[in-house]
Amino acid sequence: MRATRPLALAAAGALALTACGGGDSVDTGGGGDGGGDNTLVAAVSAQPDQLDPHVTTAYASFQVLENVYDTLVVPDPEDLTMQPSLATEWETSEDDLEWRFTLRDGVTFHDGSEFDSADVVYSYNRIIDEELSNSFRFQNVESVEADGPETVVIRLTQPTPNLLERIGSFKGMAILPENAAEDLDLTTEANGTGPFQLESSDASSTVLTAYEDYWDGAPSVDGVEFRYITEPAAALTALQNGEVQWTDNVPPQQIESLGDDDSVELETTASVDYWYMSMNYARPPFDNRDVRRAISFAIDREEVAEAAWFGAAQANQTAIPEDSFFYYDYAPFERDPEQARQLLAQAGVTTPLTMGLMVTDEYPETVTAAQVIAGQLEEVGITVEIETLDFATWLDRQGEGDYDAFFLGWLGNLDPAAYYQEQHQTDGPNNYQGYSNPQVDQLLQQGATETEDEARKAIYDQAAQIIVDDVSYLYLYNPDVVQAWAPGLSGYQIRADKAINFENVELP
Amino acid sequence: MTAPPEPAAVSLKPARPRWRETLGLLARNPTAAVSAVLLLAIVLIAVFDETLAPQGPNEISVGDRLQSPSWAHPFGTDDLGRDILSRVILGAGVSLRVGFLAVGIALVIGTVIGLLAGFYGRWVDDVLMRIMDMLFAFPAVLLAIAVLAVRGAGSGNTALAIGIVYIPVFARVTRASVLGVREEVYVRASRSVGASDLRLLTRHVLPNAAPPIIVQTSISLAFAVLAEAALSFLGLGTQPPNPSWGLMLAEGRGFIDLAWWLAFFPGMAIFLTVLCFNLLGDGLRDVLDPKQRTLMAGGGR
Repeated sequence: MRATRPLALAAAGALALTACGGGDSVDTGGGGDGGGDNTLVAAVSAQPDQLDPHVTTAYASFQVLENVYDTLVVPDPEDLTMQPSLATEWETSEDDLEWRFTLRDGVTFHDGSEFDSADVVYSYNRIIDEELSNSFRFQNVESVEADGPETVVIRLTQPTPNLLERIGSFKGMAILPENAAEDLDLTTEANGTGPFQLESSDASSTVLTAYEDYWDGAPSVDGVEFRYITEPAAALTALQNGEVQWTDNVPPQQIESLGDDDSVELETTASVDYWYMSMNYARPPFDNRDVRRAISFAIDREEVAEAAWFGAAQANQTAIPEDSFFYYDYAPFERDPEQARQLLAQAGVTTPLTMGLMVTDEYPETVTAAQVIAGQLEEVGITVEIETLDFATWLDRQGEGDYDAFFLGWLGNLDPAAYYQEQHQTDGPNNYQGYSNPQVDQLLQQGATETEDEARKAIYDQAAQIIVDDVSYLYLYNPDVVQAWAPGLSGYQIRADKAINFENVELP
Repeated sequence: MTAPPEPAAVSLKPARPRWRETLGLLARNPTAAVSAVLLLAIVLIAVFDETLAPQGPNEISVGDRLQSPSWAHPFGTDDLGRDILSRVILGAGVSLRVGFLAVGIALVIGTVIGLLAGFYGRWVDDVLMRIMDMLFAFPAVLLAIAVLAVRGAGSGNTALAIGIVYIPVFARVTRASVLGVREEVYVRASRSVGASDLRLLTRHVLPNAAPPIIVQTSISLAFAVLAEAALSFLGLGTQPPNPSWGLMLAEGRGFIDLAWWLAFFPGMAIFLTVLCFNLLGDGLRDVLDPKQRTLMAGGGR
């Protein structure tokens, strides 16, 4: 999932802030009686682009949808392994080509209707038949069928060890009631099985109310209001004033000073996201492995991470962060300008070499990081021309291959296949750079069907090593998840996959 | 055939060249004089920017980030550890270059259009000025953003965009001034002795229609510097890491309660430059207005 940046610069958000800044100033927060009573107000940075979980790719939408919909399995908040949710248990056939899921009993949708296997079949087939944004997650799926109201059978064309991750890692794989797309306008309406139901959504906030008949027990708060506050500094002030009780819109430069602030409880944890630079193989001399390696040697990842995240990011030369089982400790590129210059000379490149670097103000860290990268590459004779674009133009130019290099991140991946396959397989859907290495292709194919974890890790370690050595992506860092809430708020758990779940939250 | 009598020609010349008289009058207006001196200083800083800057503007040193003003860094350092004084100095070059280029474009094209429209009138006037009205109907910054969206961001395109936006302003000012001048006796006299249109325009009409254009130039420079800052603030003008005051302001905004100096110094630079151009424009208007001028010159005697 490539999610929209949590800090999107939306004029609407700024207006909303002005609008709500005035009236509630007397409310000291927490137990005040000003409309809030037992409602949690969460400051998020952007408005959901739409609320259809199968269609949207925006992080702002999933922040809300996480609390409205359920999936068959869910990541454990602690270690992100897949746990039962709407499915209580599952078994695989001898040849690993058939998975049988037993569904939970007594689950109802927000409109009161019963949940059963027909809803699962409908939801999955909707994604597959309409080729929605997550259809690639079902690429090995031959069929999804009901076997009675309580059992769903998924048949595969080849063993798929990461099937649970594919159907459960986020709410893009939500279970909708049968015919939901015909009965409802899913872009603005919702009918899920989750702990909260959608009350309203407009340009200033999205409001959810607790669903009393939730299968895992009604949430302890009466509702959640997601209020859009674009400016991180403003979101933080709102939290300190007690206007909101939770936010993920924390300015990274203030993480350190907030540690001593009694009016705010701040928590950080390593995320599963990674940020990288990608060079265009169709534009010489970036098709030359030595040139890419020279650039990789010229970059000081620690400094880039520090500049962008003020210590809240870990430099990494591969994609998968340290906390993951699939983390591979491989760091062949120590900053070495001398070697970089040698490699450039060896490649026959005359310096100064000019390289355009495409970044987007939708994710300000790309602009900051690009300036540091430009400074570092200047030292080896590469002049970086930074182009700051709006995200739509950025995506267009990425699609057309109209760039020398770009800087961006991938968010929310859990399985090694998700980290590497679409990006580095020859002609992979997200292989915009044009990387092609038969050895990597073979390893990725092997990894996708290997069912034993240790063996899988060994395969992906090999693939990662080649990808890093070839500099298909120039990996830079894994940022932390940074969230803050009112002191005394309990039952909330910060998660590496940045899913925001308010099911068990209790207000102070 | 007879040469004009020499003594008469001499007596027609004023005791002092007109531009020196103008400068003299301007010097008697304290705000305008101070503005002019400050602007001269800013221009000198912009010209000698690389010599004056204590550091390279893009020398990144993340370890030295967000240092408050000190002897080593009189304006402090920004979030990437760059010296803000150096960046403000280099930013002067960027802002003024874009400003002068933009106003240059608007001045040349706008004045020519205004001259032609005012001098020839009739359909030439109609066609040219309706096109100008069309351009003028767009809000200035919106039009500049549209131009940048088509041409791509960058300081050269920013100058072009701002220049295009201000063409109608100069066209209108010039046309209004020309309309008055073209009916003057000396113009008609010159025409009656067979002077060509080109000679009429360059020798008589333009010089006498110039004062409002000069005032407009000064005021437009203020707007152009401001517009460049605004466009860079929005990410459409000067691209990072190049220092531009507007861009520095945008970058400093997020640090305002942590490190005020990031936004303060570039903000002051914009404020001072724009103020000076405006005050100078005010002073010039007083000095160049014939009625005011007589009053001022008379008062001085």
